[in-house]
Amino acid sequence: MAANNLLEIRNLKIDVRVTRTKQLSIVDSATLIVKPGQIIGLIGESGSGKTMLCRSLVGTLGRRGAYIASGELVFDGIDLVTAKQSAWNDIRGKRIGYVPQSALAGPNPVMTIGAQLAEAIEQDENFPRADVEKRAIELLNIVQIRRPETVLKQYQHELSGGMKQRVMIACAIAQQPQLIVADEPTTGLDVTVQAEIMDLLKQIRKDFNTSIILVSHDLPLINEICDDIVVMHAGTTVEKIPSKSIKSSKHPYTIALYNSRIDLVAPKGELKTINGQPPSVGSWPEGCRFSERCDFVTDRCRVKQDLPLISIGISHETSCLRHDEIAR
Amino acid sequence: MRIAKFKEWLALPGGFGIFSGIVMLGLMIILGIVIPNFGKYKSDAFVGDPFRPPSWQHPFGLDQLGRDVLTRTFSSVGIDLGVAFLGVSIPLIIGTVIGILLGLAKNKYVLSLVGSIIDGINAFPLLIIAVAMLTFLGSGLKSVIIILAITNWARYARISRTRAVVVSKQNYIEAARTLGFSKRRIVLKHIAPNVSSETVAYALSDFILVIVVVSGLSFLGLAAKPPMAEWGSMIADGRAYLAQSWWLVIFPGLALCWSAVSLSFIVEGISRRDRGM
Amino acid sequence: MKPPAFDMTRLRGNEAMNIIEAKDISVTFDSYGDIIKAVDHIDFVLPKGQTIGIVGESGSGKSTFARVLSGLQIPTSGSVTFMGSPIQTGKNTYQGALRKEVQMVFQDPYGSLNPRMRIVKAVAEAIRQHQGLDKKTSTKVALDLLESMGISNLDAQKFPSKLSGGQRQRASVARALSAQPSVLIADEPTSAIDQSAQAQLLGLFNDLIKKGLSIVLVSHDLGVIRYLSDYVYVMKDGIFVEHGKSEEIFNNPKQDYTKKLISSIPGHVIK
Repeated sequence: MAANNLLEIRNLKIDVRVTRTKQLSIVDSATLIVKPGQIIGLIGESGSGKTMLCRSLVGTLGRRGAYIASGELVFDGIDLVTAKQSAWNDIRGKRIGYVPQSALAGPNPVMTIGAQLAEAIEQDENFPRADVEKRAIELLNIVQIRRPETVLKQYQHELSGGMKQRVMIACAIAQQPQLIVADEPTTGLDVTVQAEIMDLLKQIRKDFNTSIILVSHDLPLINEICDDIVVMHAGTTVEKIPSKSIKSSKHPYTIALYNSRIDLVAPKGELKTINGQPPSVGSWPEGCRFSERCDFVTDRCRVKQDLPLISIGISHETSCLRHDEIAR
Repeated sequence: MRIAKFKEWLALPGGFGIFSGIVMLGLMIILGIVIPNFGKYKSDAFVGDPFRPPSWQHPFGLDQLGRDVLTRTFSSVGIDLGVAFLGVSIPLIIGTVIGILLGLAKNKYVLSLVGSIIDGINAFPLLIIAVAMLTFLGSGLKSVIIILAITNWARYARISRTRAVVVSKQNYIEAARTLGFSKRRIVLKHIAPNVSSETVAYALSDFILVIVVVSGLSFLGLAAKPPMAEWGSMIADGRAYLAQSWWLVIFPGLALCWSAVSLSFIVEGISRRDRGM
Repeated sequence: MKPPAFDMTRLRGNEAMNIIEAKDISVTFDSYGDIIKAVDHIDFVLPKGQTIGIVGESGSGKSTFARVLSGLQIPTSGSVTFMGSPIQTGKNTYQGALRKEVQMVFQDPYGSLNPRMRIVKAVAEAIRQHQGLDKKTSTKVALDLLESMGISNLDAQKFPSKLSGGQRQRASVARALSAQPSVLIADEPTSAIDQSAQAQLLGLFNDLIKKGLSIVLVSHDLGVIRYLSDYVYVMKDGIFVEHGKSEEIFNNPKQDYTKKLISSIPGHVIK
């Protein structure tokens, strides 16, 4: 592991147990490197495996019968593949924070916001009890919630969607984690709220040098916020590219994602859609999994083979066989 | 091909449980049909000396009046399962219908009146209500069925009503309205199937409860009465002789357990399957 | 009360007109003593053949207003007319032949289809209702309609739970189109589906627009509104803060709220 990498994921394979004898691959070969203070965007359609990858970072794979089948997952020198529950207890919520998708989870409905924050703060057993409330208010201030003393006493249903997400972020940063995994944190929220939450995440990175993995299906959003973008398709990371170079992508899937952006099309103009559907788990084609939807496909692509990420520039890697033929 | 599909079905979560439950229950039902009708002895016939222990001729032994315990045990299947079936299906239908009507009703008075009745009935455990009402109606199996029909529907109505309210607010019901479907059509084809899926699921586990309640009431002498062959009353009769002639109690007890357990397997298997999916 | 008659030939002809007009609409809810004004005295028109966008954040009242337009919600005050005649007769809306003309597509692909009905049956049911065909023919027509929306015959036989969000939305559109409406009201149709499914759905809407369908598009997604709408109403707290031609709203917003909305779009630059 390189000394200055916070997180190294290499060729990670995550399987899920279907029956006693059968298992399915959800993530087949994911490679992702995160340095301290970086904001990495993880983009992919449904079925790409991006959510499973996030779960592997917070150690909640077991709950769904999933497990790491092979590959490396090293966080700050700690091997998370073999980590036991006790090791995870020190990492989850303390060194790796998690912000869930706003529509799916949120603050516990039967606890006050104050109680939730206290729980997050008291993850550090040595934290002085007397200071918990002060710290809770401090956290609410960091996430820019007005009148934090009032909010401490409120319940989840009294808050708006945006406020709920800010509370979740406050819980996630309570232990000043080195890494925050945010899985579609603003999906379903209004555009103005989304902009504010994104500014908040950028501020947190600036103030605490926290690294952030931001998962989304919204390319314009990722493009604007993230330093680097990692693209996943059918369980594999197919390209890693700096945000500002997105237009010189060397993978047909990324190009297709970019071209299908609705904000770049003239009103009622021709929308470029990506052909077909993402292949569902369990029915991945052999060879390049994008081959059935790709505009540049040749017979070479369909041959059963490993397609590792190849470095083709500064911080730019792609797994496309024909990357040197893609002119842009 | 068929076998492969079956194996696949079996391997999914809960598959084994549902299958075992059906096999166990099926066995009980088959024996319950075959033995009383085609077996050597009748359930109320005196075929030998009382308290004969289990032997090749009488695998479950003879009871205190010299009747064949095996035949009597399996004769009870029709009674217990049959009464339980009526005691569940009638409340299921009544309760589901009332619940749907209530869920869709707008009249404040109807809502609070019927709602209170339902909540009132549901406040009491089934066994307590049954015992209380049997003192009015007089005991016996027929009374038990009537009582179940009169009171058990409330549990189904509560489920059905909540579900009907939730379903009626769903977009596909609103779409049915904008598409101009008649109210009758919407209720019958769209609301009812989505409500009854919940109540039928509840009915399966209720079935277990009712079997135990019927046997329990018979044990207390309030439902099936001697000389009827019924597990609960057989156990009650045999209790006094338990130390010396255990077969009078154990076999009907095992049969009761077997039925309840097989149903539990089915219910648990279904719930595992729903969760797994 | 007999529903008012309306003139079909005028509707199908080339004459420009306002199909739907809403005047002074208010919707007030009484929730345990709290009076909530979801919609507060607004006016609205849908010209024939146009796509009108209503953009607003959550809580703005846009969904409630959409339901008023489609007849699912009776306004507390004000009236909606279809080709000049009021849509409300007594306690009902869109009676008789009028009902098929305005159909709705909803946000949630999971709740938009009866989970216990196969897709083809759901669409065939609507076709039977409106096109008067028998069971066999309506099934065939349903399969064809679904296929034209990219849902194969095989997928059409499935239950909604076995299809993706995008497929379910397209099936909902197919069902709505079975009534052969002149107006489609779409309430957040793309919000719950992923990007490529969204693009496919929007392409579908585009085709329908070219065929002459008038659409009311309600969404908080400015990209979708900008892509499809000719004219845009901006809604906040139950009122229309601003309205105008699409290019005007997106490139030259006048009200502060509109400016705030537009500037929150990632990567968007106001010219």
